[in-house]
Amino acid sequence: MRTYILKRILYAIPTLFGVTVLIFAIMRILPGDPLGAYYGIETIINWTPAQRAEILRDLGLDKPIAVQYAIWMKDIASGRLGESFFRGDPIIEILAQRGPISAQIGIISVAISWFIGLPVGIISAVRPNSIWDMCTSFFTVLFLAIPGFWLGLLIVVGLISWLQYKAPIVSVQFWENPWTNFQIIAGPAIVLGLGQAAFIARMARSSLFEVLREDYVRTSRAKGLIERLVIARHALPNALLPVLTLSGVLLGFVMGGSVAVEQAFTVPGLGKALVVAAIDRDFNVVQNIVLFYAVIFVLVNLFIDLLYGWLDPRIRLN
Amino acid sequence: MESVDIRESVNANISRSLDAFRVFIRRSPFAAVWGVVGLILVLMAVAAPIISPNDPLKTDFNNMSAPPDGDSYFGTDQIGRDLLSRILYGARISLFVALASVLLGTTIGGVWGLVSGYLGGLTDMISQRFVEIIMALPGLILAFALVLVMGAGMWTIIVAIAVTRVPFGARIIRSVALSVKETAYVEAARGIGASQVRIMARHVAPQCFAPFLILFTVHLGTVIVIEASLSFLGLGVSPPTPTWGGMLGEASALLYPFWWHVFFPGVFITVTVLAFNLFGDGLRDALDPRLRGTL
Repeated sequence: MRTYILKRILYAIPTLFGVTVLIFAIMRILPGDPLGAYYGIETIINWTPAQRAEILRDLGLDKPIAVQYAIWMKDIASGRLGESFFRGDPIIEILAQRGPISAQIGIISVAISWFIGLPVGIISAVRPNSIWDMCTSFFTVLFLAIPGFWLGLLIVVGLISWLQYKAPIVSVQFWENPWTNFQIIAGPAIVLGLGQAAFIARMARSSLFEVLREDYVRTSRAKGLIERLVIARHALPNALLPVLTLSGVLLGFVMGGSVAVEQAFTVPGLGKALVVAAIDRDFNVVQNIVLFYAVIFVLVNLFIDLLYGWLDPRIRLN
Repeated sequence: MESVDIRESVNANISRSLDAFRVFIRRSPFAAVWGVVGLILVLMAVAAPIISPNDPLKTDFNNMSAPPDGDSYFGTDQIGRDLLSRILYGARISLFVALASVLLGTTIGGVWGLVSGYLGGLTDMISQRFVEIIMALPGLILAFALVLVMGAGMWTIIVAIAVTRVPFGARIIRSVALSVKETAYVEAARGIGASQVRIMARHVAPQCFAPFLILFTVHLGTVIVIEASLSFLGLGVSPPTPTWGGMLGEASALLYPFWWHVFFPGVFITVTVLAFNLFGDGLRDALDPRLRGTL
C-alpha cells in the first residue's frame, strides 16, 4: 500500500507542473493583448511607446516569458499567488473570501447526488424494467440533458414570480450568518446536486445490475441469505467502486458547471469571481483561479485513486 | 474489367452500410426516433431564414417583453425582438459550433490516439501525460480561458471547445489502436513490409471508425451545453447575433426576467442535448456495446 501511495503521489507531481505550464501558455503566449483587451484598442494605439513600456513594466509583462513564469512560481510558492493586475489585491484574498462559498456548494451538491442518485440506482437495478425503473430512467435521461444554469434561472424566475422571493446577493460565510449563508448556497447546491445525481444513478444502476449477475452473488443467494443482505453486504460494496470514480470525474462537471450556475443565481462564489475577472480582463486573477480549480481537481482525484487502492487490493497490487 | 470491380465494391459498400443502418434501427428504434429529432433541429436551423416569422434582430419598443400570444408564439424579449425567430436563428450558431468543434476535436484527438497507441513506447507515454494534463482542467473552464484570451468569435469558440474534446478522442481511439495492432492481419501487413504510415491508415484506422462515430455523437450534447454556457457567461458569439445561451444571459441580466425569456431558449437546448445524447447512446449500443461505460 505504501508503494502504491508513493507512486500515485509521484505521478501527480508532473501533472500539476504540466498544468501550470499549460495555463501559463494559454494566458501569456497565445495571441491576444491583455492591455488592448483591458484599455480598449482605441486607447492603446494612442499611447507612446514609452507609456506602453511603463505600463507593461508596472504589470511585470516586460520581462522574458521564462522569467514571468518563474515569478509566477515564486508567487505560488509564497502562497500569495501574485496580485490582481488592475486592483492590486493579493489573489489569495479573493480565493479565501470566495472559495469557502463555492466549496460549500460543491460538497453539499456531492452529498445530494449520493443521497438521491444511489438509492434510485439501487432500486432500479434490483427491479429492472419495472415501472419505477422506467420512471427513474426517464428522469435520469432528462437531468443529464438539462443544463444546470438553465434550471437555476428557472428556479430564480419561479421564486420571483410566485413567491416574490429572491435570495440575498451578499457574500456571507456560514460562521457569520448561517441562515443567510444557507439561502445563498441552497439553490446552486440543489441544481448541481441533481445534475450529478443523474450520472450517479445511471452508473449505480448499471454497475449493480452487472454485479448482481456474478457467481458469488448467486452463491450467497443459494446459501439462503435474505435478498437485502445479499445486496447490502455482498453486491453493493463492489458495485460502488465505479460510482466512486465517477464522482471524482464529476467534480470537473461541478466546477465547470458551478461557474455558470453561480452566475445564474448571482452567488458570489469562485465561479462568479472568475467571470468578473474575465470581464475586467484581469488575466492574472483568471490564471490563478483556473490553476486553483485544476489543483483541486487533480488532488481530489488523487485522493479517490488512493481510496480505490485501499478498497480494492487488485488495484494497488497491479 | 477494373471498372466492374469498382462498381461491385461500391455496391457492396452501400449494402453494408444499409445493413448497419437496419441493424441500428432494429436494435435501438428509440434512439433512431431521437436521431430524427436531431435531424429536424438541424433542418430547422438551416431553414431559419425561411421559416422564421420575423426578423430576429428587429426591435419593437412598443412591444417589449410581450407575453406569448398569436403574434409572437414565444413572446418578445426585453427590447421587443421576436423570441421564436431568435431561437430559430440561434439554432444555427449552437448547432454549427457544436458540430464543427466536436468534429475538429475528435478528429485531432483520434489521429493523436491512433498514432500514439500504434507506435507505443516512449511516444505513447509522453503523449498520455499530455492528455492527462489537458484533462486536469475542467472542460468549461479550459474553454472559458481559451476564448477569453483569443477573443470571442465563432471560430475561436470552435477551436476552444475542440481543445477540450481532444483528450477523449486521444484516449478512446488509443485503446482501440492498442488492441487492433496486436491482431494477425496487422502483423501480416507488417510482415509483407508495409510502412508504419500505411498500416495505420489502411489497416488500423478503419477499425477506429465506429468508436469515432460514437464519440462524435456522444459528445455533441456536452458541447452544446459548453457553448451555451460560454454564451451565457458573455463569451459567446457577440450580440446582436442570437444564440441560445446568449439569450439566457441577456434574460438573467434583467432584474426581474419574465418566464418566457428563460423558458423557451432552455427548452431548445435541453431537447437538442437530449436528442444527441439518446441518439449517441443508441448508436453506441448498436455499433460497439463494449464502449458502454467508457463513454
